[in-house]
Amino acid sequence: MTDKINAESGETTDFGFETVNKSQKESLVRGVFDSVASRYDLMNDLMSAGIHRLWKRFTIELSAVRPGHTVLDIAGGTGDLAAKFSRLVGDDGKVLLADINDSMLKVGRDRLLDSGAVGNLHMVQCDAQMLPFPDASIDCITIAFGLRNVTDKDMALRSMERILKPGGRLLVLEFSKPVSPMLGKIYDTYSFRILPMMGQLIANDADSYRYLAESIRKHPDQDTLLGMMEDAGLVNCEYHNMTGGIVAVHRGIKA
Amino acid sequence: MNTQHDPAVITAVLMAAEGAINRGLELDPGSARDLADLSGTVLAIECWAPALEVFAIVEPQGRLHLTPYCEEPCSVRVRGGLEDFVALATAEDPAVTLINSHLEIIGNSAPLIALQTLVAKMEPDWEAPLVEVLGDVAGHQLANLLRQIFRWGQSGSKSLRRQLSEFILEEGRLSPPAAELEFFYQEIDSLVLKADRLESRLKRLAQRLDKQAQ
Repeated sequence: MTDKINAESGETTDFGFETVNKSQKESLVRGVFDSVASRYDLMNDLMSAGIHRLWKRFTIELSAVRPGHTVLDIAGGTGDLAAKFSRLVGDDGKVLLADINDSMLKVGRDRLLDSGAVGNLHMVQCDAQMLPFPDASIDCITIAFGLRNVTDKDMALRSMERILKPGGRLLVLEFSKPVSPMLGKIYDTYSFRILPMMGQLIANDADSYRYLAESIRKHPDQDTLLGMMEDAGLVNCEYHNMTGGIVAVHRGIKA
Repeated sequence: MNTQHDPAVITAVLMAAEGAINRGLELDPGSARDLADLSGTVLAIECWAPALEVFAIVEPQGRLHLTPYCEEPCSVRVRGGLEDFVALATAEDPAVTLINSHLEIIGNSAPLIALQTLVAKMEPDWEAPLVEVLGDVAGHQLANLLRQIFRWGQSGSKSLRRQLSEFILEEGRLSPPAAELEFFYQEIDSLVLKADRLESRLKRLAQRLDKQAQ
């Protein structure tokens, strides 16, 4: 119904550097991740030279998740964060691995099963804009490299705020804006020239990786995202730049 | 988080240190058991030069978790400069080093001393992973060779320090011996006292001359 209204009213959004109808973005993003799912982890390691593990580890430290907590990892993809959270929350806790894309979720599920992370882990295929969980039911929500692919980011942030328990925290790990102009130029060259080439060589799909680079540039910078989190009702919002601001982790608390 | 450094860099350094310590603990089950007794201890290390805050958390399995961010209440917090922490880490008697150093301790110092003693006494069995990979004969031979190199390195380092000290003091005369330096300082102190006395006398003389002139 929402899609129909959007299509009729002609509301648009960005898909990389393209402008598309809001109703189209979801299927276009799905196409990208269907294409890269099987080699997603390998590409992440190659693209970031393994640094994405450091970014994710620091995000987990900031989460301060304890045994017994309920954690929701949105756009959890291949389950990097969920596996760590599963150990932290223990038998009394619960980890919900959510992704809109079933290909990514299947890869994540298989990988987690292979690593022995079972029992307190549950998979949910859902849209970050309309999270199918009761109000105030989650202690911690993480979304790592996923928010930029969401069609309506404000709506998604409001949805996350709704399901967080008071005092619960939201952590958004996402590509951001390098703080140094020089680093920005090097990063641009890497993103638009080398990254699609690597995508072509390893995943035989240059377009999907070109989209990833473009979507990073269209994503709100550190301060804009901070304002969006505050607008969604979160308090004590802050962010930490990592690797010169190429990536930032934002944290907000449910009042 | 009290640091001006990139969290990714700090995380990388801590991950490497944590990996090395925990691998060492795996190869020294006795130390791992002793560490497990300290489970739940949160040690905060606050270094002001370079500005850095690190937390060491003892996990129930006898492993150490190093992190730049922790919200758990700290068992003990230690503040100081890098050289003080290095001195403590390498001290044979940590209690004496703690008392004599510029380190500031907030909380219970007992788990800190226990941790330092444990790390200092750690004797990992480096032969085990080598034997695992290379087999009994080759692994044992290589471990022996590494042990000899390590011992040679230790004695070589001690000898180098002694010879360097002798060269600087005796051969090169680049630095005066401690006794000579102490005598020099005493002479300066004595000179300062004499100069002060002379200044006082001159002032008194000037005052007397002023009175006579009036």
